[in-house]
Amino acid sequence: MEISEKSVENVDIISISGRLDAYAANDLERKLDSLITAGHVCLVVDLSRLEYISSSGLRVLLGSMKRVKKEQGDIRLTCLRPSVKEVFDMAGFTQLFRTFGNEEEAVNSFTRA
Amino acid sequence: MEVTIADLSLDLVEKICVVVLFAYIVTRTKYFTQVLGRQLDVKNRFFLVLVFGGFSIYGTYSGVELPSGAIANIRDLGPMIAGLVGGPVVGLAAGLIGGIHRYFLGGFTAVPCALATVIAGLAGGVINRWRKGDLVGIPGAMVFAFLMESFHMGLALLIARPFSEALAVVKLVSVPMILANTIGMAIFALVLTNLIKERRTAAERDGYRRELERRAYEMEIAGGIQQSFLPESPPRIEGVELAALNLPAKEVGGDFYDFIPVSQQKWGLVIADVSGKGIPAALFMALSRAVVRANAVGNPTASQAIRRANDLIVEDDKVNMFVTLFYSVLDPAGKTLTYVNAGHNPPLMLRQDGHAIALLEAKGIALGVMPDIGLEEREISLRKGDIVVLYTDGVTEAINSSEEQFGKERLTSIVEKNSNLTASGLVERIQQEVAEFSQGQPQFDDLTLMILKVA
Repeated sequence: MEISEKSVENVDIISISGRLDAYAANDLERKLDSLITAGHVCLVVDLSRLEYISSSGLRVLLGSMKRVKKEQGDIRLTCLRPSVKEVFDMAGFTQLFRTFGNEEEAVNSFTRA
Repeated sequence: MEVTIADLSLDLVEKICVVVLFAYIVTRTKYFTQVLGRQLDVKNRFFLVLVFGGFSIYGTYSGVELPSGAIANIRDLGPMIAGLVGGPVVGLAAGLIGGIHRYFLGGFTAVPCALATVIAGLAGGVINRWRKGDLVGIPGAMVFAFLMESFHMGLALLIARPFSEALAVVKLVSVPMILANTIGMAIFALVLTNLIKERRTAAERDGYRRELERRAYEMEIAGGIQQSFLPESPPRIEGVELAALNLPAKEVGGDFYDFIPVSQQKWGLVIADVSGKGIPAALFMALSRAVVRANAVGNPTASQAIRRANDLIVEDDKVNMFVTLFYSVLDPAGKTLTYVNAGHNPPLMLRQDGHAIALLEAKGIALGVMPDIGLEEREISLRKGDIVVLYTDGVTEAINSSEEQFGKERLTSIVEKNSNLTASGLVERIQQEVAEFSQGQPQFDDLTLMILKVA
């Protein structure tokens, strides 16, 4: 798994590629934790290149979501592949995370709110 | 024959090789090991005195006799070491053995040489006392040997007469003797230091191994406790066959299933998969199972039981774990199954009348994610021969050596082809097929399966 990040205005965009398994989940957790601790609470997670997500991956996103919500922030997802979307749907996580078709829409949902 | 300093030095260095061998063998004896462990009983002291006293005598004989009758030697080395290792009494006794022996060999340096050897042992012992039994390091031991031999030379000049001859002897032997004893001491200290380091490493390694063994043992116990949380056997219910299986990937797992008596006639059937792995998942499994069970007992309304369970789990969940769960209430008399699906793989439903396999889906969300969840409750009617397969992703995501997944299609087709089997027969068949497919490939996820068949 690889993580890259950039920011547009006050929104941080994190792109995750590859497989988000139990081991990779720890890396992602550290990354998101450091961002949130630094006060970045409006996050867009780009999943266009994510091939697989395990329940540990969902757990990390859930934990981060709980943290940013406390700071009036949000985590929004973009470009879920069908196999990844199926996992989110099945666990009911699409009730918790707003999803968007592309990055721009997701960023705009923050900046033009 | 003229004896040069070079000849003497070379000869003495050869003797050093003997010292190496001696040091190696002595330090590995049982007695010496006990001495290093600060176990200085009479037997061990006696051993040190004899061995290092003997080594002192060897030092005398292995010395090189000079034309003047003086002997350049490493006689002091044994007593010095005996003192450093065993204390003043041991050092003194070893020194006396070497010294008295030297005294009776005679010669005009007999008295200073004998005396120096006795003092060498005593001095080593004093250092041992001063260090409270701790061994000096390599440099310290070398400095000691250097000073001791220099003192030895001074003693010879002071006591041996005629002085001119004593001076001649000292001039010839001082460099080789100081050198040989210092090097000999360095070698002994080096061998000893290495030995102690080896011992410490071995002790640490043994410690780690014991710790690992202890943990493995605890995990085994934990696994046993966790298995005891699962029902020993399915309940006997008129008109319905039930069978289940749980195979954790590691010692402890995060999957569970349960049969819960929710009323006089009705049974709650649970299958669940906790996020994550290992001990965290196992602990969360224990919590979830207890909470679900407590809320389901006596409560025939599936959605209400699970919503209450969720609120309790959310309250306790500070670590963002969650659990996907399928819960259904079986009414054997009314032949219905009422279910909610909290984010779990939808179970497969195979109708005996030949309809395509249906998935038991319902709107819901995993437990532990948020409070006040909405759970859609659905009801299906059951007819003779119908089969419901509840499973966790450990079944469908079992991998083979080419990293292919077992998949839902394979599971579906096994169920379709073997619909004539009993519930437990079908569980066994699926287990076999998964095992055959994965061919001993280590699995990452727990495998849990429950099958209901209407008789």
